Amino acid sequence: MPEETDLRFKPISYKDDFVIVPDRWKVDFMVSMGELSVFFRELKENAKLMGTRCPKCGSFYFWPRSWCHDCYEDCQWVEVSQKGSVTMFSRVDISLSDLQKEVPFYQGGVHLDGVRYPIVALIKNVTMDTLHKGMRVRAEFLPLQERTGRIRDFYFVPDV
Amino acid sequence: MERVAVVGVGNTSFKARHIDKTFPRLAYEACKMAMEDAGAGKEDIESVVYSIYNDFFEHCAMPDHHIHYLLGFARKPGSRVTTGGATGGYSVRAAFAEVASGLHDVVMVVGVEKVADLANVIEMVKSITFAADPFFEYQLGASPAGSYGAAIRWHMENYGTTEEDMARVVVKNKGNARLNPDAQSPIELTVSDVLKSPMVIYPLKILDHCLNSEGAAAIILASEKAAKRFRKDPVWITGIGASTESGRQAERDYSDASLFPAVRNSALSAYRMAGISDPSEAIHVAEVYDSFSGVEICLYEELGFCSWGEGTAFLKDGMADIGGKIPVNPSGGLIGCEHAIGATGIYQVVEVVRHIRGEAGDRQVSGAMRGIAQSMGGARGAYSVCIVLEG
Ligand SMILES: [Zn+2]
Repeated sequence: MPEETDLRFKPISYKDDFVIVPDRWKVDFMVSMGELSVFFRELKENAKLMGTRCPKCGSFYFWPRSWCHDCYEDCQWVEVSQKGSVTMFSRVDISLSDLQKEVPFYQGGVHLDGVRYPIVALIKNVTMDTLHKGMRVRAEFLPLQERTGRIRDFYFVPDV
Repeated sequence: MERVAVVGVGNTSFKARHIDKTFPRLAYEACKMAMEDAGAGKEDIESVVYSIYNDFFEHCAMPDHHIHYLLGFARKPGSRVTTGGATGGYSVRAAFAEVASGLHDVVMVVGVEKVADLANVIEMVKSITFAADPFFEYQLGASPAGSYGAAIRWHMENYGTTEEDMARVVVKNKGNARLNPDAQSPIELTVSDVLKSPMVIYPLKILDHCLNSEGAAAIILASEKAAKRFRKDPVWITGIGASTESGRQAERDYSDASLFPAVRNSALSAYRMAGISDPSEAIHVAEVYDSFSGVEICLYEELGFCSWGEGTAFLKDGMADIGGKIPVNPSGGLIGCEHAIGATGIYQVVEVVRHIRGEAGDRQVSGAMRGIAQSMGGARGAYSVCIVLEG
């Protein structure tokens, strides 16, 4: 049965001489995380951040990569430090995302200790005055019952 | 490699909403104008490259082949390129390759976008953020402005660029748009008007943002041999460079001076191909990707118009004004004229060709013999294409 709000079944409307047809694309997914599964399982079940290391050149990847793009070798899972430094950052005052409605929020690059690249992450308990390049931060995790196994299960706070 | 010329250009006007036209109709109008400009008939076009960014904007997963038969090109080759904001640039590159290789003599490129069929701005931004890293980053609530905001803040911290400096870009580009009858946002503004508009993502306020536009642009490319068939003097593509960086923007935080390495690399290869050693002297007009005001200041540096950290001085000294040393975005750019994403990189070429031909009306850059068109896309300019055009 069509839902009340489903635009696909609403009648057309008019704007001046022209017709507007309401429509909606609704597409559900069940995404297989395949070779990346370890990362999501450890995040949800154990509040651990898992990266990968190349056995040939030693590059340590987080976000994890299942192969090293320099050596074309398969990487191995290794737990990553939960501490790191801020690289770039900005403050969002008007959110255009339905995933993050509370404003303002802060996002930036965080370079975890020992890994090759920074990641983009949410940073909490900061202001534009306290945030700075090189600021030490640590990961904080939602409690087990609130974690859904997604990236928003953790964020960074100042490491004081 | 065959020499490649632009022999015809066309575009619709750009608006927030073309309520009276579907996306195939917008594409048709730009194509028809480009064919008339070239003195070409439908039978002259051997192949078409469609520059369409986002399936959601067109409300169709394969919009290109629905335009193709409506244009009467069924059974001829037609393909689509989509690389974020650089869709236009990369489409021109694909068509360039078809001609330069000798595969075809005459190829049309058409870019079109119908963004406002999405129900509202939240749905529009959502459709763009589906381009983020699908495994890790897409649920972070990042947005296009977010991917640029941090880089611009870095430029402020390192070079002393201010919000007021960025506002000058907006005043310039919306002012240039007043000279362009096709522009969406021809507005006379002051720096303080820009500074007073609401903050979206620090340091970017609403007026620092590019437009969301509907519209289309088309160009016709021809080999040297075929170019003789057409009406106007050819404008040659003498350099075309492209670069695609990591789609994860934070991985680029530790680059050297370049905040937009794909832009830098695309420009260097285009200049090398065109035999340009000093772009600050060789280039007479530039249409660049001012997705946000502060980005344009960074681009002066990335494109070699001035040294690292000198972008703000370049702007304040009037070098980027019409009448300056290298007028930048005389059309009004993405802030003043249009950002119908798939059309943007094509329209940049249309604009530069008009300046080289002396057909740019009130905004004509005098003595423009050589210009560039630069577009970029993906998280903080992961893709970039730079095109050198010469009369
Ligand atoms: Zn390796």
